[in-house]
Amino acid sequence: MSLIQDYIPRNLPDYATQAPKQFQFNPYADNGGSVVALAGDDFSLIAADTRLSTGYSIYSRKQEKLFKLSDTTVLGCSGCWCDILTLTRVISARMQIYQHEHHKTMTTSATAQMLSTMLYYKRFFPYYVSNILAGLDNDGKGCIYRYDPVGHCEKNTYVAGGSAGALLQPLLDNQVGYLNQENVEKIPLTKDKALSVVKDVFISAAERDIYTGDGITIKIITKDGITEEKFDLRRD
Amino acid sequence: MFLTRSEYDRGVNTFSPEGRLFQVEYAMEAIKLGWTAIGICTSEGVVLAVEKRTTSFLMEPTMVEKIVEVDKHIGCVSSGLMADSRTMIDRARVECQNHWFTYNEKMSVESTIQAVSNLAIQFGDSDNDGSAMSRPFGVALLFAGIDEKGPQLFHMDPSGTFVQFDAKAIGSGSEGAQQSLQEVYHKSMTLKEATKAALKILKQVMEEKLNDTNIEVMSMTPETKFHIFTKEELQEVIGNLPESRDVSLKSRSNISRPSIRTSVSVKS
Amino acid sequence: MSFFNRADYFDLPYWQNGPAPGSLYHFPDFTTNFNSDAIQRTQSPMVTGTSVVGMQFKDGIIIAADVLASYGSLARFRNCERVIKVNDNIILGAGGDYADYQYLRSLIEQKILDEQCLDDGFKLKPKSLHCWLTRVMYNKRSSFDPLWNNFIIGGIEDDQLYLGTVDKLGTAFTDPVISTGYGAYLATPIIAKAYEANSQMTEKEATDLIYKVMQVLFYRDARSFPKYHLGIITKEKGIEIRGPISIVTDQ
Repeated sequence: MSLIQDYIPRNLPDYATQAPKQFQFNPYADNGGSVVALAGDDFSLIAADTRLSTGYSIYSRKQEKLFKLSDTTVLGCSGCWCDILTLTRVISARMQIYQHEHHKTMTTSATAQMLSTMLYYKRFFPYYVSNILAGLDNDGKGCIYRYDPVGHCEKNTYVAGGSAGALLQPLLDNQVGYLNQENVEKIPLTKDKALSVVKDVFISAAERDIYTGDGITIKIITKDGITEEKFDLRRD
Repeated sequence: MFLTRSEYDRGVNTFSPEGRLFQVEYAMEAIKLGWTAIGICTSEGVVLAVEKRTTSFLMEPTMVEKIVEVDKHIGCVSSGLMADSRTMIDRARVECQNHWFTYNEKMSVESTIQAVSNLAIQFGDSDNDGSAMSRPFGVALLFAGIDEKGPQLFHMDPSGTFVQFDAKAIGSGSEGAQQSLQEVYHKSMTLKEATKAALKILKQVMEEKLNDTNIEVMSMTPETKFHIFTKEELQEVIGNLPESRDVSLKSRSNISRPSIRTSVSVKS
Repeated sequence: MSFFNRADYFDLPYWQNGPAPGSLYHFPDFTTNFNSDAIQRTQSPMVTGTSVVGMQFKDGIIIAADVLASYGSLARFRNCERVIKVNDNIILGAGGDYADYQYLRSLIEQKILDEQCLDDGFKLKPKSLHCWLTRVMYNKRSSFDPLWNNFIIGGIEDDQLYLGTVDKLGTAFTDPVISTGYGAYLATPIIAKAYEANSQMTEKEATDLIYKVMQVLFYRDARSFPKYHLGIITKEKGIEIRGPISIVTDQ
């Protein structure tokens, strides 16, 4: 009972002292957004919604959240938008420096490792970003890396992240990973299947998650380059 | 010619009127006092060979480590002031590990030597910590490595300049050795041939008689990576070397200590 | 003594120390340095401007903001211009803390001056100013000393219209329709609907729409004022800062 009483906000200006008050300005914002990435034998596909929001209001319906880092690597970000802007710029700069220093373009695995160390170096004031990196590995095989905000990195073949990540991951487990099913034929993922799964998955996310909607951008990475596709979602 | 250089050879920050940095040139002279090292790069792999000059028979020759591993895929041999080379090799090792840590991949041979070069040209730099280098490093380095571009051999001098070579000799016997390398090298050389050629040339330029304790050989192929020759492997190569005019090779390869003693007495 | 005071963390009223119904006005209690090494930083805005609205029309950008600078619930300064011309390419509208805005404005003015001194014919472009402002705002928020503002940047770059915004965290984006503060709730729906119906509005249609929107804001936003400035940039006529324009109320 007394615990609940303690939580009642009080504002008693007459009792205020001149001593410094500790008031925390919150440097973070949750600007929502979801990212889904799927990897096949010879391609990688990554999709992100285009809604930028805060709380109940929508900032923009046309915000690109996929960042092309090289001809074989695309990064999808969601979370605190100001951190995303900064992080992606620093990554681009680092990749350009690498290009100049080593006379070659960074591979997806090198980018993946660099992102992990970059995030960890800001361990005590993290970039509040959920990152998903999609690309082709050195053998041309599709690969996906997912991160937590402080640099934990794990390689996967299918990943959902961002505001609807927890909603979508089990769906992907079932539909792409063929998990939790009995007597199921495990068909290798094709580009067409991946594309239709991604669209279905985002339509479902937009139904249940208020931070996901308006539309999606899909980037398909193959050895021939990156192609882009757009798809509309509900705007409410 | 040394007499005329009285004014401009004091500091590393001052060019002579002819546009020379004498301290750097003197540093290059220091290498000419060093032991001879040879590197040959073939399509199969790359080999380094170096003489280990033993100044006293009381010295333990196995303790002298001239060819060092920078990373699994890069080896390095130096000639000149040994202690200086340690600093540079330390930098190379740190850069390689740092690259692996950040990018989860092997650092390329060129990038590694570029990193060392950045260190080598810092002589004369002054900074606020007062930790500036007072003089150029007195070593030349041969970097042998294999990366995605294949086997490579690089040479770097005290000015920090580095150049890629098919075959290169440094140290006291470098002039003669380089001449011989030019005669013997061809693009389709096998690694075995290259090893044999390196030892043959080393034998020609060494003051001591070449045996399995006074040389060090490293070979590297994409499969084996950095590999220092064992005594047995050395003996095998030495055994296959053509007989020299004066002494039989076989008799020397079996007993090492007495031969050192003789060589010391010859030198004095 | 505990530093953790729950009352400071949870459910602070939107305008601190505003008079409760039936009571007298109470001035905010400043916490100043008191026997301590603590540094005082902006923890909440003091004198503030309310919403800024901006939109694209056929051949230009329009930005509007009223002239009131409030001190809590007090309508403290009633003639503060919040829409400025930065250079021949850019207009800027500012909301939030007025002092922080003045500080940043002086930075920008110096930047423009330095640029003019170079006399190389180069002029800052809206995209560059937007990016620069984003970096300034992000760096300040990262040092826990934010500039408590919302900015809307409008301009023309390579014959293309540009409308962008930055907030106190460094959250930045571009859109054809942007409003800040209560404008995000009250103005955006009206403007966005009109823009979707006709994205090629004439200047007259745009100014009329903005007038209507400022009127709506004045009706419902308690910290607003019936006088506003308009910043208009068009390809033909360049920049015009119009105002103060008075809102005629029905009552």
